[in-house]
Amino acid sequence: MRETMEKLQDQYTSALRNSIVGMGESALQQAYELGRRALADGLGVLDMAAMYHKALAAGLPRDSTPEETALMLEAGASFFAESLSPFEMTHRGFRDSNIALRHLNQTLEQEIKRIAHALHDEAAQLLASVYLALDEVAGNLPPAREHLLKVKGLLDLIEGQLRHLSHELRPTILDDWGLLPALKFLAEGVTARTGLFIKVEGESAPSLSPLLATTLYRIVQEALTNVTRHAKATQVKVTIQHELQTLRCSIKDNGVGFDVSSLSARTGERGLGLIGIRERLNSLGGSPSLVSTPGHGTELVITIPYTNSQEA
Amino acid sequence: MANEAVVTINTDADVVAARQKGRELATELGFVSTDSTLLATAISELARNIIRYAKHGEILIAPVQSGDRVGITVVARDKGPGIANIPLAMQDGFSTSGGLGLGLPGVKRLMDEFHLVSDANTGTTVTIKKWKR
Ligand SMILES: Nc1ncnc2c1ncn2[C@@H]1O[C@H](COP(=O)(O)OP(=O)(O)OP(=O)(O)O)[C@@H](O)[C@H]1O
Ligand SMILES: Nc1ncnc2c1ncn2[C@@H]1O[C@H](COP(=O)(O)OP(=O)(O)OP(=O)(O)O)[C@@H](O)[C@H]1O
Ligand SMILES: [Mg+2]
Ligand SMILES: [Mg+2]
Repeated sequence: MRETMEKLQDQYTSALRNSIVGMGESALQQAYELGRRALADGLGVLDMAAMYHKALAAGLPRDSTPEETALMLEAGASFFAESLSPFEMTHRGFRDSNIALRHLNQTLEQEIKRIAHALHDEAAQLLASVYLALDEVAGNLPPAREHLLKVKGLLDLIEGQLRHLSHELRPTILDDWGLLPALKFLAEGVTARTGLFIKVEGESAPSLSPLLATTLYRIVQEALTNVTRHAKATQVKVTIQHELQTLRCSIKDNGVGFDVSSLSARTGERGLGLIGIRERLNSLGGSPSLVSTPGHGTELVITIPYTNSQEA
Repeated sequence: MANEAVVTINTDADVVAARQKGRELATELGFVSTDSTLLATAISELARNIIRYAKHGEILIAPVQSGDRVGITVVARDKGPGIANIPLAMQDGFSTSGGLGLGLPGVKRLMDEFHLVSDANTGTTVTIKKWKR
């Protein structure tokens, strides 16, 4: 990185010199190509600014008149703009995908609502008709009654799980009782399905905006899914804390852990969970931090700026 | 109104000539300087693609008018191998040459209008427009 930067710097300085001595479009094309290369080498806009600054210091003759200097600075500014233009392309790309992601989030949230309702209402209705059918069979076939009672018991279990799932998906408990009880409810469901021991701790938040509460809920939901899918953990602790003007939420497991630095190297088929978490937080000015060591579990810490009187 | 210009694209020097024409026309029509830069960027990207994938081609630069809007259209065409899968080529990061795959989607974002026609028999034509602000 350092070496490529030094090499680029030399080329940048000589191209800027060409630009200042009036080589016009061909110097600008060089500026563009250098910006293109810097981008490919993973440099950022600030690196470009630093490079420009150094090149300018090296390229401006000491003995020029103020008028000459002004002209050269003008040429230099065009040169600089040209070398930044490739970054404009990527910048617009990121902006587009950010908008797309945000949109996707909203669509997902609606989709979740729909599924929750389907689970809750339609599945419950179907189950109700199964109960009726069973009663009918029991009436016509007395010897099967014993057996059918067992089946009914199983159906009761299924109904309970479906209800729980639908409430987890669309936690009205969140609106009615607040974040902490909703997280406890979520944890109960995960424990019932996976056997994972989950402890939820924290002070109940006064007046969290619905947006903030839903965001935190979804993040904990994804984090717990990750724990059950990847961590091989036996215990998880979820903690919510209010610090001065920040809300802190930690999800910590005692599982296998993983090498966090390997995440950024993965492209292509990498998961969306952590990216989604970051994206949700971005829109609230918050940020995630992931601490994990192979063999020593994983902790995800979320911080979000927050004031008591916050309204969404 | 200013005339159109056609620049044959074979080498890097031709890219400079095409950019030069684009910038001249932009200045003549009173484009703000950042938009001239974006136009030059788009020309560079299309010209690079011509040289890299088709070896030869040409870039036409012409003023356009629509109602009381004025702008510049750039047509980059070649008789090269064409693009097999256009939606794929328009995706960020897709490249058949180990590049960043930034060119085509980047140009589309910088311009107001973008149109790509390509097939194996006739080669590739990219038409873009930038309106004066
Ligand atoms: N609690 C954890 N314990 C161990 N590894 C984890 C944990 N959380 C995340 N990881 C690792 O980080 C990777 C990225 O997680 P992420 O949620 O972004 O994607 P995913 O879970 O693989 O896929 P998706 O969430 O899109 O279904 C996982 O594949 C896993 O290797
Ligand atoms: N004029 C062309 N003729 C044939 N194929 C083309 C042409 N222009 C683009 N392509 C195809 O479209 C793909 C995407 O082009 P794009 O300019 O977006 O990326 P790239 O040239 O591969 O990388 P970069 O522009 O970042 O250096 C190319 O890899 C190539 O396969
Ligand atoms: Mg995940
Ligand atoms: Mg390209």
